Amino acid sequence: MKPFAYTRAESVAGAITALGSPGAQLLAGGTTMYDLMKLRIETPETLVDIQGLKALNYVDHSRPDMLVLGAGARMSDVADNAFVKKNFPAISESLWRAASQQLRNMATLGGNLLQRTRCSYFRGGEPFPCNKREPGSGCAALEGLDRGHALFGGSTSCIATYPGDLAISLLAFDAVIEVAGPKGRRTVPLAQLHVEPGDTPQIEHVLSDDEIIVEIRVPRTPSGRGSTYLKIRDRESYAFALVSAATGLTLARDGSVEDCRIALGGVGTRPIRATAAERSLIGKKVTAATARAAGEIAFAGAKPGHHNAFRIELGIRAVADALQTAKTRAS
Amino acid sequence: MNVSRRKFLAGTAAVTTAATAAVVATPHDGDAASGPPPSRRVDAREKVTGDLRYASDRLLPGTAHAVYAVATIGKGRLLEVNTKAAEAAPGVRLVLTRVDVKPPGFLQGGGHAFQSLQPLTSDRIAYRGQHIALVVADSLHAATEAAALITARYEAEPIAVEIDAPGAQKVRQSDVLPTAHDVVAGNAPSAFAAAPVKIDHEYESPQSHPVPMELIASVVQWDGDDLTIYEGTQNASAVQNGLALQLGISPERIEVLSPSVGGAFGQKNSLQTHLAPVAVAARRLGRPIKVVVPRTQTFHNASFRPASHHRIRLGADRSGRMLAAMHDVDQQTSRHDYFPAVYTELTSRLYGITNYGSQQNLVRTDVQTPGFMRAPYESPGTFAFESAVDELSYALGKDPVALRLANDTAVDPISGHPFSSRYLADTLRRGSRKFGWSERSAAPGSMRGRDGSLIGWGVAAGAYKAATAPATARLRLIPAGRTYHATIWVDGHEMGQGIRSAVARLVAEDLQLRLEHIEVGVGDTRGVPPQHLTAGSWGTATALPAVYAALKELRKKLGLGAKGPVPSGRGETIVLARSRAPGQPEAIHDRAAQGLPAGAGPEYPEFTAFSFVSHFVEVRVEPTTRRIRVPRVVSTVDCGKVASPRTAESQVRGGVIWGIGAALRERSEVDERFGGFANPTLEEYVVPVNADIGRIDVGLIDKPDFNLNPVGVKGLGEVVMVGVAAAVANAVFHATGRRVRHLPIRLEDVL
Repeated sequence: MKPFAYTRAESVAGAITALGSPGAQLLAGGTTMYDLMKLRIETPETLVDIQGLKALNYVDHSRPDMLVLGAGARMSDVADNAFVKKNFPAISESLWRAASQQLRNMATLGGNLLQRTRCSYFRGGEPFPCNKREPGSGCAALEGLDRGHALFGGSTSCIATYPGDLAISLLAFDAVIEVAGPKGRRTVPLAQLHVEPGDTPQIEHVLSDDEIIVEIRVPRTPSGRGSTYLKIRDRESYAFALVSAATGLTLARDGSVEDCRIALGGVGTRPIRATAAERSLIGKKVTAATARAAGEIAFAGAKPGHHNAFRIELGIRAVADALQTAKTRAS
Repeated sequence: MNVSRRKFLAGTAAVTTAATAAVVATPHDGDAASGPPPSRRVDAREKVTGDLRYASDRLLPGTAHAVYAVATIGKGRLLEVNTKAAEAAPGVRLVLTRVDVKPPGFLQGGGHAFQSLQPLTSDRIAYRGQHIALVVADSLHAATEAAALITARYEAEPIAVEIDAPGAQKVRQSDVLPTAHDVVAGNAPSAFAAAPVKIDHEYESPQSHPVPMELIASVVQWDGDDLTIYEGTQNASAVQNGLALQLGISPERIEVLSPSVGGAFGQKNSLQTHLAPVAVAARRLGRPIKVVVPRTQTFHNASFRPASHHRIRLGADRSGRMLAAMHDVDQQTSRHDYFPAVYTELTSRLYGITNYGSQQNLVRTDVQTPGFMRAPYESPGTFAFESAVDELSYALGKDPVALRLANDTAVDPISGHPFSSRYLADTLRRGSRKFGWSERSAAPGSMRGRDGSLIGWGVAAGAYKAATAPATARLRLIPAGRTYHATIWVDGHEMGQGIRSAVARLVAEDLQLRLEHIEVGVGDTRGVPPQHLTAGSWGTATALPAVYAALKELRKKLGLGAKGPVPSGRGETIVLARSRAPGQPEAIHDRAAQGLPAGAGPEYPEFTAFSFVSHFVEVRVEPTTRRIRVPRVVSTVDCGKVASPRTAESQVRGGVIWGIGAALRERSEVDERFGGFANPTLEEYVVPVNADIGRIDVGLIDKPDFNLNPVGVKGLGEVVMVGVAAAVANAVFHATGRRVRHLPIRLEDVL
């Protein structure tokens, strides 16, 4: 790991100031940052540690309209929060199914949202070309081992999958993030946080280098209670999704769908909201046929590579299964 | 063997003791020293508290740290290694790109190492990830950082890494090795041709890696001309003798300590090629050096399970009598060594098939030399063979357990000799009862769980040669108050399998001592040389007979009867005893002393010896997303007398978990454009986690095999994995109707 300077921020403002120095990067839980530093993919000049900022570590469910989560809250704490479990099981489950207990105990929500891809060519370093790691060097995955690579949002420069789980469930519920920077605070809809790779896969989100995610706000909705996060992977823990689906439903008395949320994980270069699939269910009952049809709509635009086409059918089935679970919870 | 030249340990301090672990009594202990001693892992307490010391935990004053830089091409010639930046980096003491050491020699070719190729001795690059430079620095961080600054220029050559890649070169094993290892009996081709029911299919097992938790690591210390190596190895004597040859010094100048190994699985069965350059560097610097080969590098600088393709032909009559079997194999090897393919040794004897044929080929590819990963031939071999037997059972419309029982044999169909003991049928009957096999509905897809999941029940049999190697034991008894304290040094290595526990238990039972009064020294060339290879599932069946002989010798020396405790008042007594496999000449001890493999089996002069196992597996396949889960396994083993019930049961569970991993998850991925292995991390090389493992019901037949040795023990550590992958695959077929003939069976295979 390349030598670096380390500074501990005493406040959000102090952290923002410290981030202004060249090559400074934020350290929250460290679960990704240290990992990527050891791989020499991240080579910060300075690490600005915000782990001590208690002001960022909270779960506030006192507001009737919003669930408010501090960006410094630990994944395990939020996963286990009784209010979250009851009102947004999809969010709790997306946290439980991420990483391992040890990592969840350390990792923060804000850091998790910006987790970088697990593409093995990105992480593997030399000899693999990777436009994300070394812009202009090429993409080894395009003609390579792409079993885990993106079905949506890829470009001729990059097909690396966005790896996070939490962002998928948050996206399904229209979460917004609050960001603090030198010019003050702003809110960014989660749907606009991540960007597709295009010709610049090294750019993964819309935040600038001296901005910090400080808060996540999730509008409360009955669909939150009727929700689930289904993650299909190669083993039952400590693995990234082959495909995942966050679903939420609000049902009318006759069982027809009033509100539907579907977001897809593990299949896009960024979190995917399946709005057309959501619309397809409005006013209908959730049956094996309509759930399957919604899944098919969700995956209609998928572009498979060489070894990942099976994840389209798998994804369709995962959406259908997750809708059935959501239906049970919403009923 | 001249043992007197050795500087035997004078005291007990440096020997990891069984006693420390046994201080805290368990409820099973009782006070009486008579009767069978409690079954317990003697180092359990250290293991769970983190107190157990592994080789790389040895922190010597002034230790420098070494890190290797690796080749980034798949094959070719090294034109230049640029070390300037690394040499200038802070804390760096030495950078080596060439060392003047002799080749280590391939373990299967008369040498001591996992491969013949010694990095840093020529400009040849044989595989991506090969070591090209060694950096030694004051700290691990400094060495790691400097190693990353090393760059190289190459002349690249075309590569073929996978067994079926264009450019991989197939050779007939009988053309390139002195022993063909092809088993032939009767006339298989004509018997197969005449058989009314035939099965003829191909099965594929992938290349895979053992990924033991403890990385390959050494601490190297010179004291004048004497060298001490601390390294987690299964073969201290090969490290000792092989390194001595490489360095051109006498083996007597080298001691090797392998105190406890954090998983070996065959990967640590020989001299590793990271060691010699580190020994050279340590001598030059005059400092001890610690080197830990990082996980990613162990995927390229240590052995792995080669890929193998199997064609199985089975012929049977309509009653289910198997008339002929042919087992042909293509197995991957490296370009620089022929790692032998010995798949048919077992499949020719699993049943009483009198017409058997085989041809085994080697496929040369651009990798480091593959090796003996747990149940090396038997796990892939039985995946193929026992899948085929399952296919035969459906072709015949006969229950797969009944089919296996109908083809059992008491006689080795190849040699005509009896088996030393064979309780395969018992394992099948007992396992079948426990599992509830009679409730099975035979048609694929005919059993469903309440949640709609498809239930599949599969069975497979397995066996593993009951090998034995020569061993030496040294027993010292000293008075300790009203009782005695026994220290036993014996050939063997503690890799977590529980050899210390098994040895301590035998001594405790014989001398009627409590476990806390027994110390076991293994893996230490100072304790009792040689420390011959512990592998091939022969550890217990090798160490215990030597210990047994030492106990007999002790009783003789003390003038005691065959049984009973040692009467009080006897002074310090030391005895030395040796044992070897039935039929082995005395000279075999010399071979072991040279650090060369000296195991025997499965064929002995008067019998053939195997351990046996059966596995009954339930899989549940999700109705829609088709995840395959394994909620329960019933495994029943015939390993002769059970030397140490607690650790034996753990061995079975561990082996079954390995089998589940092989069946459903493990594969070392290859991108032919770059060479090497593409998923060389614990994150990407998918082994099972706890959440993937359900109930594993362990049954032990526990009938001693006194033909093999006077203790009655046969091997256990490998046989437990044999057949698991086939049983899982057979269960997947029963659940889904899909016959998957390659491993691992992934979601996409059953979607």
